[in-house]
Order: sequence, then structure tokens, then C-alpha cells
Amino acid sequence: MIVVVGLSHRTAPVHVREKFATSADVLPQVLARLASHPELRESIFLSTCNRVEVFADGSGEGAVDAIRDALCQHAGAPSAEISPFLYEKTAHDAVRHIFRVAASLDSMVLGEPQILGQVKTAYDAAVAAGTLGTYLGRCVHRAFSVAKKVRSETALGAGLVSISSVAVDLARQIFGDLSGHAVLLVGAGEMAEAAAKSLGRGGKGIRVCNRSMERGAALAKAFGGEAAPFTALEDELARADVVVTSTGSPTFVVHADMVKRAMKKRRGKTLFFIDIAVPRNVDPAVHKIDNVYVFNVDDLEQQVAEGLKARQAEVAAAEEIVHKELHDFETWSRGRDVQPTVVALRAKTRAVFTAELERSLGGRLKHLAEGDRAALAQMLDSAVNKLLHAPTTRLKAAAAKDEGADLAQVLQHLFDLPELPTNDAKPEMLEATPGDDERLPQ
Amino acid sequence: MLPWVADVLFFATALIYLVASGLFVAYLAGARVFASDERMPSGEIDIAKEMRAGTTRVAPLLLLVGVVLHAAQIVVSSFVLHVCPVEGMHFGMSVVSVVACATYLAMRGRYHIDVVGAFVAPLALTFLVASRFVAVDAPEPSLRMRSAILPVHVTVNLLGDALFTLAFAAAVAYLVQENQVKKKRLGGVFLRLPPLDALDQAEHKFLLAGFPLLTIGILTGTIWARRVEGGVGADVGRALFGYATWLLFAAVLFLRPAAGWRGRRAAYGTIAGFGFAVVVLILYLLKSLGGAGDTVAWLAR
Repeated sequence: MIVVVGLSHRTAPVHVREKFATSADVLPQVLARLASHPELRESIFLSTCNRVEVFADGSGEGAVDAIRDALCQHAGAPSAEISPFLYEKTAHDAVRHIFRVAASLDSMVLGEPQILGQVKTAYDAAVAAGTLGTYLGRCVHRAFSVAKKVRSETALGAGLVSISSVAVDLARQIFGDLSGHAVLLVGAGEMAEAAAKSLGRGGKGIRVCNRSMERGAALAKAFGGEAAPFTALEDELARADVVVTSTGSPTFVVHADMVKRAMKKRRGKTLFFIDIAVPRNVDPAVHKIDNVYVFNVDDLEQQVAEGLKARQAEVAAAEEIVHKELHDFETWSRGRDVQPTVVALRAKTRAVFTAELERSLGGRLKHLAEGDRAALAQMLDSAVNKLLHAPTTRLKAAAAKDEGADLAQVLQHLFDLPELPTNDAKPEMLEATPGDDERLPQ
Repeated sequence: MLPWVADVLFFATALIYLVASGLFVAYLAGARVFASDERMPSGEIDIAKEMRAGTTRVAPLLLLVGVVLHAAQIVVSSFVLHVCPVEGMHFGMSVVSVVACATYLAMRGRYHIDVVGAFVAPLALTFLVASRFVAVDAPEPSLRMRSAILPVHVTVNLLGDALFTLAFAAAVAYLVQENQVKKKRLGGVFLRLPPLDALDQAEHKFLLAGFPLLTIGILTGTIWARRVEGGVGADVGRALFGYATWLLFAAVLFLRPAAGWRGRRAAYGTIAGFGFAVVVLILYLLKSLGGAGDTVAWLAR
């Protein structure tokens, strides 16, 4: 049975989540610790800024407790401190949860695509550590295909949903490639730094224009750029292509007249302002000048809100995909549950027939030539196949409807089948090979 | 060569241009035709890649097939009608559209103007269909045989017009895109059109490439008119509009570096210049329609 135990931004505040921060190099140890619990046949450890979860194939309560212990140990905190934030899901709910996580339906920013990469990384780590087998492996693989379907068949990932992505995309949509353009930061606060991080340095490097030259120089240095005095703002405007303003000034810092003069100097080349300061730094009249575009925080936030709204509208379609894939997975999973019965039934029937044949061939049918013996063996083989065809297909059909367990039990009883190996046995483990995406049966 | 071959090629080309136009426009209108799920590092759908992977892989391919059929149609028809394609207006418009499409196909990746196909394909269709209604000029052997000027004049003008068609398409796309940004409408059309600067650059480069051709066209036209002498009213008008087109494009090209007339102003100038060039084409067309009998006869054939 698949189980999920973990915590996420929905259940735990950041000071709890950060206790679980896991770097890639300690991941093998964490997985080895999980694998040392006999209740856990397979396990994956997923760790992102917003969630820490263990997906496992194990037997019920024992598995859940084992994961809880492992998580507390990992966080180095007593169970009483961590437990209130942990959730646990089993069987149907667990698989559904894994699918929803991979499809970014459970993400803090709905539809964000990083989570799929993070699940893939966790999958690869588990394969490398030898803690992933064919059952949970198949489940996670299904989750990948759910995520891909959601991405290509719905617009859950469309639209711009963060201020920085809106700003960067705007710049790209105006200038195309940003690599040949110069970025100017007016103001050197945290917001300017964040903007510089997302915009990159531009091809012509980054310049910082700040009232405090010292602070400006420090920020410029951090990004390999240069600082300029605040008095040279107009000249700087003539050189820059993307200008991010974030000063604490209570009045406008960039006026229309100043920009008009700068535009003359730059021979009408496009100038793009991202004004993230509140109160605003750039006079809105600047937006009316030819080839100059000004976007302030409200404009950007409005885009974010619209993007999120559009994504919200896609949730139902995405959930429908999850639902359908969940159904398919469970059908496969239940078929897998009756597989040992089918195998045992065939083995027993074949054994009985073979034993009888051997006896006859050693006695009354001793005189038969080699060719006749082979024909007889083949005849019995095909009789076994024909005889068992109906029970096999009926059993599988019943399994698909979740009625397989009863029927399997009846068969075991009627045919006196030996103690069956259950799916609780250690499954075949996946091995890390390059291009393992196609390795699992779809 | 059988005339019906030319007709089949004509209708096949028209159909393909129509479907390609439809695909481009549907894409601009927001349909996720052949969409891919390529993402940018920020996680948003990468529209440029989506275009490359999706619509632009199919629509330009169709356009390419259209261009090949169209070129074949021009060759076959010129044999059927015994007219050289670069002499006279019947093929003129057709040649403009085929060259415009071919140039777009060659340059779309380099100039990042994939979606400009949404403007080029319908124009190509219009020119192709319009050419059907223009009579085949009756050659004047005595004059034409003697001079190589006329074919040169027509060829450079046609090539120039093809490039101006592309500049016009880029200018229209620029104005649409610029309007979206100024009004801060950052939805579908905004994301699907190429970046503003790419459109401005493409428009400028097409204009820059077309201008020397236009200049040669004007010069050869002037020389030709002097030889023939005493042109009719339509010829004078055509020449005037030809000079006006040259002046306008010259101004657009000159004012860009000199006075920083980029973006919107350059786009308006380009559109106006293209308008004048179209007037010249229409005047040719009217002249051709003078021989209405020929047109009707050809259409009825």
C-alpha cells in the first residue's frame, strides 16, 4: 500500500519547514535510514522549500509510524514538536496526493512548474539509493505523466504569476533578447537587488544610481556593475534600456521632461521603466512619451492577479485528469494484487498435469517415440492454457472492479493453493541507468 | 503546357495561403493550435518556443508549400500565356506576393518575426487573387524587344514591393503590439506577437533592403518614360506616386538616425509609404483594366 507522510506550506509554518532542509548530499543517508525500516519496501524523499514528504510502499500503520520516526529524527526534533504538522495519507488518498503534487495542484503558487523537476530529482535520488521498486516507481512515473498532461491539456501553468516574472517577461516582450541591453537600478534597496537578480545583468552590464554612492557601489559590485552618482540620473537614463526604480523618495524621481531630454540623447531608442517603489518614483506622464513604457507595482500586481485567476479556472480540468489517471493506476494496481493467485493456479495445474504425464510416460506409455512424447506434452500445455483462460480473465476483470480479493480467496481455497507470496514481499528494485524515463511499463 | 495545370496550381496555392492565414490568425486570436508545453526558466509558457514548436512549424510549412506551388503556377502560366513574368502587371502582383512570402520564410527565425506570417499570408492571398483579375498586357514588341530597361524596371520594383510588403506587415504588427503595451493589456495578443524591438528592427531592415531597389526602379522608370514620351494621365500619376513613395521611405530612413524617429512614427511612415506603393500598383491595374475585353476574355477562358 502506498503511503505519504509529510508536511507542507498548508500545514506547517516556515520555521518548522526549515528544520527539514535537506541538501542533495545527505539525501542518500536519509533514504538509507528509511530503507532500514522493514515496514518500508520502497521510499522516496521529497524536499522543497514548501514541502517535505516521504512517499513509500509499506504495510499500513507500521509504515506510517516508521516514516514519522524517520522524519522526526531527520529534523532533530522530538515527535511532539513535529507531529502536529504532519499529515498522512494512505492507499487511494496517497496516490491522489502524489499525482496532485507533481501536477502542481497542491503548490503554493498554483501551476508552478518547478515542483515536477523536484519530484524527478527525488525519484532519481531514490533510484540511485536503491530504495525505489517497480510499484512505487510506477506510481511516481504515472504522476509524471499526469503532470505532463495537465501542462499540455490545461492552462494551469499559463499566465504570469509573480511580480518578478511579469517584469522580466515584459522586458523580454519589449526588447526580445535582454542580452544586448543595459539595466539601470535607481535606488539600491532590497527590492532593487531582487529585481537585479531576476533581470540578470543584461548584456551591457548593470549600473546603479543611488543617493548614497557607497550603498550603490556595494550593490553594483555584487552584480559586477558600476555605480553612478544620483545627480547623473539623466545621463544614465540616456544609456540604459531597462530602468528599475525603487527609491524611498516621497515624490517623483523621474519626471517627464527629464525623460524627454534623455530620449533625444538616445535617439528615440526604447526605454522601459519598472517602478516598484511605493510611493511611485516615475511620473505616470512618462508613459505617454513615444517609445517609453512605465509599469508600476499596481500594473504588475494586476497581471499577477489575472494570471492566478486564469490558473484557478483551470483547476477543475486538471483535477479531472488526476481523477482519470488515478482510476487507471488503481485498476493496474488491483490487477497486480491478484497476479500471485493467477501464477499459483497455473503452476499448480501445470505441475499436476506434468506429474501425471511423467508417470504415464515411465509406465504404460513407455513405448512412445520421442516425437510422440513431445506432441503429448504440447497437447497438455495447450489444455492447461485453455482451461485457465476463463478463470484468469474473470479474475482480472473482477480485480478491476475491486472484487478480485474475494474471488482470489475462493480460488485459493478450492484449488488448495499454497501460501501465496503477497505484494508485501520486497519488490524488484529499479536500477539507475541513463534515460530511465522509458524504463517502466506505461 | 495545358492551361488547366495553371488553374489547378492557382487554386491549390490560394487554398494553402487561406489555410496558412487561418492558422496564423487563429494562433494570434488565442487558439492553442498545435501548442507545445515548452516553458521559460521562470516557468511560464514560452510563447516564442510554443510558436516554434507549434503553429509556426505547421503554418510556415504550409506557406512554404504555397510558395512552391505559387512559383510553379507563375512559370506554367507564363508559358501558357506567352508572357514573361517580369513584364507587365498580370504577374507583377503575383510575383510580389511569392517573393514576400519566400523572404518572410527565410528571415522569420533571424528577425524573430514568426507571427508576422499572420499579416504576410493574407496579403499574399489577396495579391494572388487580385492578379487573377488583371489583364495580361499585350506586349508591344517594337518597343520591348529593343530595351532591357523594362524588365529591369519591373523586376526591381517587384522585389522592392515584396520587401515593402514585409516592412508594412512588421509595421502593422508593431502598432498592434505597441498599443497593447501602452494600454497595458498584457494578455494573449501581447504574448503572441514578437517583441516590440524585433518588429521595429525587422521593419527597418526590410525598408533598408527595399529602398535601393525602389531607387533603381524610379530611375529606370524615369528613363523609360522619357523614351516612350508623352505618357497618358495615368502614367504621370503613377510616376508622381512613385516619387512620393521614394521620398516618404527616404524620409523614414533618414529621420530614424537623424531625429530618433523610431517605433510608432517609423511604423506610420512605413505604412504610408506602402500605401503609396499600392496606389502605384493600382494605377497599373487601372491601366491594365483599360483593356477590359482582354480581362473578361481571359477570365472566361
